[in-house]
Amino acid sequence: MAPISIIESLRQQITSCEAQLEDLRRQLAEAEHYQQQRREQDGLRQTTSAFLDPLTHDMSYGIHDDFRSEVFAALSQVEDDSPSRKWPLDRTEYKRYGRQLIMPEIGLQGQLRLKHASVLVIGVGGLGCPAAAYLAGAGVGTLGLADGDVVEESNLHRQILHSTSRIGMTKVDSARVALNSLNPNVKFIAHSRLSPESAISTIQKYDLVLDCTDTPASRYLISDACVLLGKPLVSASALRTDGQLMVLNNPPQPPGDTRGGPCYRCVFPKPPPAESVVSCGDGGILGPVVGVMGVLQALEAIKVLARQTKSGFNNSTPPVAEPPTLLIFSAYANPIFRSIRLRTRKPKCAACSAQASVTHAALNSGSLDYVQFCGSISPINALASNERISVENYAKIRLDVNPFTGMEPSKDSHILVDVREKVQFDLCSLEGSVNIPFSVVTTTPAIGSNGAGNGDQDEEGRDWVSELKRHPEKPIFVVCRLGNDSQLSVKKMKQLGLDHGGQRWIGDIRGGLNAWRENVESDFPDY
Amino acid sequence: MAPAKGHFSILYFAAAATFTGRSSEELPAPVKARSLFAQLEDRYPGITAKVLSSCAVTMNLEYIDIDGDDAPQWDLVIQEGDEVAIIPPVSSG
Repeated sequence: MAPISIIESLRQQITSCEAQLEDLRRQLAEAEHYQQQRREQDGLRQTTSAFLDPLTHDMSYGIHDDFRSEVFAALSQVEDDSPSRKWPLDRTEYKRYGRQLIMPEIGLQGQLRLKHASVLVIGVGGLGCPAAAYLAGAGVGTLGLADGDVVEESNLHRQILHSTSRIGMTKVDSARVALNSLNPNVKFIAHSRLSPESAISTIQKYDLVLDCTDTPASRYLISDACVLLGKPLVSASALRTDGQLMVLNNPPQPPGDTRGGPCYRCVFPKPPPAESVVSCGDGGILGPVVGVMGVLQALEAIKVLARQTKSGFNNSTPPVAEPPTLLIFSAYANPIFRSIRLRTRKPKCAACSAQASVTHAALNSGSLDYVQFCGSISPINALASNERISVENYAKIRLDVNPFTGMEPSKDSHILVDVREKVQFDLCSLEGSVNIPFSVVTTTPAIGSNGAGNGDQDEEGRDWVSELKRHPEKPIFVVCRLGNDSQLSVKKMKQLGLDHGGQRWIGDIRGGLNAWRENVESDFPDY
Repeated sequence: MAPAKGHFSILYFAAAATFTGRSSEELPAPVKARSLFAQLEDRYPGITAKVLSSCAVTMNLEYIDIDGDDAPQWDLVIQEGDEVAIIPPVSSG
């Protein structure tokens, strides 16, 4: 098995590198073509040929020839002595940003503020990609990109800056390639994954921060650092069909100043229990849901930056800011958006109130343990070793003739329970397995307990228990995607008395279908 | 869309919707905001520890703070026709 998978992996890597090379060649060709065009255009201006289309003879560019040469002369002169330039933006910038420049919300001053602004995008995934694309497009002068991951195939349905040819490249590098071809005027700065030790020094250099990360710990860390440094923070998140958006610490007054905007801790003082935190990989995410949240982050950032007159918190009058809101997006609800009015800073907030315990010193010394604060889940190890079976041994039970008894393998000799949710079970499953979703298993009340809800529901929820009890002699193998839920399900099944006081074997398949694919059936779908 | 007489409506978002298995329902009013969690715990055992403890709660699209006996809205009463929402933090992206 192993050598084949190495060969396969090498083949894939070669294909990926070749695709990257192809992409770079294409970009080089585009860049050369663009340069060539520029040269030709400049050349055309100097020669101002009068022998093209007779109709344009006198009035090409909408100006009479005589004037035209004067205009071009003036324009090229402007280009030549750029220090004492007549116009505050470059000629190309008027063109590129024209559609937003003519809006009163932006105008020349707003565009100049964007040009002189620096924004740090933390996380270049489903939120960070669209956010960074619109910020680069709008002409934000400096964009910092922080992420420690590499591009994976399962990112591409939503992380719009990355591409098939850049699978395996770091997300930051991939995003820079895409953003640079979108707007080469923007300065891009690469950062690795943000840590408590690096947060202050990284965020310090920027005017505004976008939290596009995917864990509770990073959300508290970024919010704390932004409060300490006086940076407005645009925070968004998304999972499945839901999204949330907040502009925090805006205006960014120092901790204890009640005129400042609330921080993440004001809104969510307690982190969710670690075992209830679901990632996009486990819970799923619809591309446009996270996309819409990322686009809104860019919008809010542009609103703050283009309006802002001063930055930092050393000025006596705080800049005007919109009242703080929490925008809830729920793709299948009506209305699809709800805007919640937030309160001002929480009087006892640990980060932004006068009683704050989150300080520069505490953050820098590493005494604030964000991972501990948010809790962590170690890999589940809930069962004894005799309650578990490896995929290889389970495969023998299914596929091989028993070497001792000479018995033909049989799927009827046991019951295989797949506890993934139905939608995943429907994607792919092992032949003969029965689906009892983990959510059903965990919510089934034990016999004799007076669970809440009505009796019918209890009966309905217990159907699977009676079904499994009808074959008391058959051992039960429990499988899930990764091998965690299966262990908890085995425990629950024993609590429900399905092991008949230890007479029937119930156990889990170690490592789940993931291990099955890696070690037994390589073409079992990987989703 | 308005809740039935003598009731308020409660909306469940994200993890709260997953836990309760519904996106909204109607509950009897009036009820003290601070006893809302206990009432929900009766209906959905385990919801306080798994969901509510970290949630934002809103009434009529306004954030309410009912955490601790010196909380600003400790004495708030949810009245007939009000709309309450349970909003767990979403952290993914």
